[in-house]
Amino acid sequence: MISKRFEPILDRSSEIIEWLMSSPDMPTDMAVTLKIRLAVEEAVVNIVSYAYHDGAGYVEVSTDRSADGHTLTITLKDAGTPFNPLERPVPDLSLPADQRPIGGLGIFLCHQMMDDLSYNYIDHCNVFTMKKNL
Amino acid sequence: MKVTINQEENKYSVTLEGRVDTTNADQFQKDVAVLMEAPQPDIEIDCSAMEYTSSQGLRVFLQLQKNVTAHQGKLVLTRMQPHVKEVFDITGFSNIIKIV
Repeated sequence: MISKRFEPILDRSSEIIEWLMSSPDMPTDMAVTLKIRLAVEEAVVNIVSYAYHDGAGYVEVSTDRSADGHTLTITLKDAGTPFNPLERPVPDLSLPADQRPIGGLGIFLCHQMMDDLSYNYIDHCNVFTMKKNL
Repeated sequence: MKVTINQEENKYSVTLEGRVDTTNADQFQKDVAVLMEAPQPDIEIDCSAMEYTSSQGLRVFLQLQKNVTAHQGKLVLTRMQPHVKEVFDITGFSNIIKIV
């Protein structure tokens, strides 16, 4: 497992995303990597945008590959406002364009791109974990 | 990310290249501002060189579709790569934006 702490996080989304995507735990398959990138971007942008009012806090991110190589685990931990992304309402995909709200798709895309998402609030920290079967 | 717009009367031929993500979605929004305001626009966006979009990019596409509809115009996205199309499919955007 490798991990890195970014503090402060204001305006550092792309730096955090690129660090995660360049991890040796990432698969080499381009199609799979693009899916993971999308989930990573949505998760990171959520934290950078909303976890702290002033963006001054930290996020600790990590990647891990199971011993058999078949599971990639990405974890994002912050000490910001308690927020369970899994409680976000599922967007209504059947609405016509004029009724579709702008936004609200980030966590939905994480769900679609990854195989398992989990959230825990531990020691005043949001811990968001995404797993991908490889 | 690069947007090129060729206009002839109300016809707009647009090419979108590269990645639309959190770093450039605001720029993308600005680049297509002229399309958002056009009366009865007939817009075709060539997406063959578009490599990626996150929800930040989708937001701009949705806003564009809303504006085009409000201005009685037409919007079509063409030649989209399959892995990008997949993102439009799973978010239901393929049902509200014409993709050929």
